[in-house]
Amino acid sequence: MRPSLTIFTAVVLLLIAFATSAHAHDVTPGDAGYIQEIWGVHIISFIYLGAKHMMTGYDHILFLLGVVFFLYHMKDVAIYVSLFAIGHSVTMLLGVWFGWGINAYIIDAIIGLSVVYKALDNLGAFQKWFGFQPNTKAATLIFGLFHGTGLASKILEYQIAEDGLLANLLAFNVGVEVGQLLALFVILIVMGYWRRSPNFMRQASVANIIMVGLGVLLTYQQIAGYIAST
Amino acid sequence: MHNAPKPKLEDLPTPAQLRRSTLIAGIGAVLIGVCVYLPAEYGTDPTGVGSIIGLTEMGEIKQQLAAEAAADEALHGGDESSSLMNDIFGLFVSTAHAQEAWQDEFTFTLEPGAFTEIKATMEEGATLNYAWTSTGGRINFDLHAHSDGENVTYEKGRGQTSGAGSFETPFAGDHGWFWRNRDDEAVTVTLQLRGDYSQIVRRQ
Repeated sequence: MRPSLTIFTAVVLLLIAFATSAHAHDVTPGDAGYIQEIWGVHIISFIYLGAKHMMTGYDHILFLLGVVFFLYHMKDVAIYVSLFAIGHSVTMLLGVWFGWGINAYIIDAIIGLSVVYKALDNLGAFQKWFGFQPNTKAATLIFGLFHGTGLASKILEYQIAEDGLLANLLAFNVGVEVGQLLALFVILIVMGYWRRSPNFMRQASVANIIMVGLGVLLTYQQIAGYIAST
Repeated sequence: MHNAPKPKLEDLPTPAQLRRSTLIAGIGAVLIGVCVYLPAEYGTDPTGVGSIIGLTEMGEIKQQLAAEAAADEALHGGDESSSLMNDIFGLFVSTAHAQEAWQDEFTFTLEPGAFTEIKATMEEGATLNYAWTSTGGRINFDLHAHSDGENVTYEKGRGQTSGAGSFETPFAGDHGWFWRNRDDEAVTVTLQLRGDYSQIVRRQ
């Protein structure tokens, strides 16, 4: 259902396992293991890792899908995606640079709620329930800030070397945007076909209701993880 | 019902545009898969692009770490094997007594990607003082110990050229360094030791 959660859980379990079992030396495999072996500036490597992180992070992709779901013009897509990018870049860079130690479960629960929020917004729920429409651009920017904080907490777990940190961090950020654009390209193609279907509006309701459910599930998993970790 | 009107057909990409985009996406996915993903994850580089942009090295390190993690798992499934393995593979280093305060001095050279282990066999509560420097490049290390299900990491470092300090052992066993050269050049490390240890065990 959600590889980033699975990977995260696996990493946590591995850390616990390493803390209690004997090893020749603490081998951390995968992306984190690679990062912990290197130092200095590695621009292309960190662009790749940033893009991979974004494309395999279902929560970010789901939110992005919600944001562009009803955007029919490329100009609007560009504006909203830029707002999201600005939001998550700001907190990602600041979060890593200043080492914000925010609990990953809490921030990921909020990211899950951002998916719920956007899907409800798409369904017109806020107008129906409260009689007014919250500013969608502001919401995209603000939730972007939370997504960036989540990215920062993952990057801190990678333990990037001090040597070359800023350049590598900026490269990772570029990679996140590259990954987002690649994902967006695919999303827009699928949406392009789907929107031409005469049943699009009816199916859109179902899709956004499912998205609410997935967002609730993501949030629930993180809260359960948080409770289990305390 | 929704927060948006039904899309107008004239606002949407035409089927021809969508087909073209799909084709581009498909070709792009294959190119990224072969030129970027395979080198960066598996260290296999059929096109040579991965080596040019430096991603093959990432894949090779990941594969190496994965293999070591699997070997660790197999080796330390039952930890009593570790001291036996040390006895089998360990080669005892002749202890050339230094005239200064240091008891032993070791010098070794690691090619890029190579690693070695140097450990001191110590009782619980014993102290080891150490100092080391590297020449030719920078070195990664993991100063640790493990024995009978217990383990401790004193210090980990990467890209360093010197270090000094001491530690007290929380349990009896082999305490020492895993060294690995992740630099581009061969690195020579000189390590000096002083403390309560019965022997030095080296593993390649």
